[in-house]
Amino acid sequence: MKEKIRIFLDTDLLEKYLLGTTTLEESMQVERYIAMYPEVRKTYDELQANLETFAKLYALKTPEGLKAKILNRVKAQNTGRRKFQRYAIAASIAALLFAGSSYFFWNQNQNLQDENVIVNNKIRTLEEDMKEQLEDVRNQFIVLNNPQTKKYAVNGNKKAKELKAVAYINPVKKLSYINVRSLPNLPDNQCYQMWAEVNGEMVNLGVIKNVDDKDHLRPLPYAENAVGYITIEPQGGNDTPTVQNIVANISY
Amino acid sequence: MSSLLEKHIVELLHERNEKAISLLYEHYGDTLYGVAFKVVRDSELAQDVLQESFVKIWKKSDSYDSSKAKLFTWLFRITRNTAIDKLRSVNTKSDKEIQIDISDVYNLGIDSIRPEFMDVKENMEKIEHKYHVVLDALFFQGMTQQEASDELNIPLGTIKSRLKIGLRELKKIYGNSMILLPLLTLMS
Repeated sequence: MKEKIRIFLDTDLLEKYLLGTTTLEESMQVERYIAMYPEVRKTYDELQANLETFAKLYALKTPEGLKAKILNRVKAQNTGRRKFQRYAIAASIAALLFAGSSYFFWNQNQNLQDENVIVNNKIRTLEEDMKEQLEDVRNQFIVLNNPQTKKYAVNGNKKAKELKAVAYINPVKKLSYINVRSLPNLPDNQCYQMWAEVNGEMVNLGVIKNVDDKDHLRPLPYAENAVGYITIEPQGGNDTPTVQNIVANISY
Repeated sequence: MSSLLEKHIVELLHERNEKAISLLYEHYGDTLYGVAFKVVRDSELAQDVLQESFVKIWKKSDSYDSSKAKLFTWLFRITRNTAIDKLRSVNTKSDKEIQIDISDVYNLGIDSIRPEFMDVKENMEKIEHKYHVVLDALFFQGMTQQEASDELNIPLGTIKSRLKIGLRELKKIYGNSMILLPLLTLMS
């Protein structure tokens, strides 16, 4: 071990390190030796003391005004640094604000796009509804206003004597409507349902929910020699009409 | 330099207190100016070097590690390297107008010794010239040992041994004045 230290001290690494002219690797090696071996540490401390002594031999009185110049330059350095720091902070805040607002606007844009899709869909649905209703109203008008339209009064049979309805059939335009004006009350678990037998097939025309809207005309599918039925069915409607519960029929 | 004052200055440096620079200048200014002058051999250049060195010292103050080097060693390294860089940039400009003349360097060093170090000067003369030349070349001229060997026409092994002996001699001579010297600096 002693030999290793001697060899190390024989190189000029320690002197080079003292003057700060070692490479990074050399510095690491020297620092390791200094940390590990007290003799190396001692030699290094001696070298440092000698360097200071040697350098002081050459001390020269500094010229007047040099100190002030140096202090000014250091101060300028500081304000520069402080200024930079202030700019850096300002820039960071600006960047954060920008990022924040960007996210906010992006989010808002995304929400608005979603809303736009919903609104567009609503408009389309409304348009379709409107067209359908307008078409319906137009057809109703044609039927009611056409001299060739035949008007049939429909009465309920003995199961529903109070049932009154009017059917409008126009064989030329092939349109038919029914207006149910009054229906006898039914228990809660039953309802009226309309059917039409068209070309030998039974078509479900849906449950008659109420007769509040007495002026509402329900379209009937048109066919030659078709028959419309109103039946009493369990609440919610049925898939096929219950024949024994027919309360009214219209042949047209 | 008392280690207490050194500690105080280091603390100020780490706190980035500008007072540290003022204290450093007061206690090391003359020595560092001497080092700079010894390298560049021109008072204008030496002043530039000292200014640049102090700015570097201030900028690097966070990186000073007292466990790795004494404060003076660190200051010396910065000043010496700044001075050598300065000399190189000037030399490349003036096409090596300034030649390294050992005897001239030696005389300048001695002539510029401060009066309060007169006893030191006497001691200085006791260091044999041959050691002194080597120390000079290595410490102030920025030569590597190989370069000093070539420049002074002395074998590399001799350079190494003279450097070691020279440093040891220094200690032997200043055995007592080493204690005196810091006191002198403090009083100055």
